[in-house]
Amino acid sequence: MTNKIKVYRAMRNMTQEELANKVDVTRQTIIAIEKNKYVPSLGLAFKIARIFGETIENIFHYEK
Amino acid sequence: MNYQQFKRIKILTTSFVSATVAVAVVYNNIILALAGVIIGMIFLFFVRKKTKIILVDERVQNIAGQAARLTYVILTMTIAFLSLIFLGSGRRMNNINYETLGVILSYTTLFSIALYSLSYKYISKKYGETDDEQD
Repeated sequence: MTNKIKVYRAMRNMTQEELANKVDVTRQTIIAIEKNKYVPSLGLAFKIARIFGETIENIFHYEK
Repeated sequence: MNYQQFKRIKILTTSFVSATVAVAVVYNNIILALAGVIIGMIFLFFVRKKTKIILVDERVQNIAGQAARLTYVILTMTIAFLSLIFLGSGRRMNNINYETLGVILSYTTLFSIALYSLSYKYISKKYGETDDEQD
């Protein structure tokens, strides 16, 4: 699973801390997701997508 | 309060508790040790309650779950292995103390496995496990 969170964050001038606070997780979790070390739950993925006003598919990509 | 400040407070509190327990051990004073640990726990409880930052999220819970499982496996296997050693050596050396220790450790292992199974079943049911057949 890969994602474009870093890109969308940069486009909105948002820090990892700000995004973490908006989706109720720790900054470490955002770092881990951005580095593709942790796959978020569906609920968290939806929350992140909504913060950026995008669909989940635009932000997260499933690779076999 | 941000996460770094919380971490600093946690380290300071842990140092305080460690120092208190160390002094208590030197002076052979169990009340001092208990007081230090309880004060530390209460202080951290209130700090956690007052802080607005998120300390536990799904990733932390995931890590905690995996760490708990690993700890359970290592601890249970170690106790089971030790119980076998004590039972065997107790019988060979005809030492009742070793054998008793082996029996106690065996029961501790069984208790640990039973507790794990029960808590696994309980949590599994909480998250939707059912014996009903699917339609």
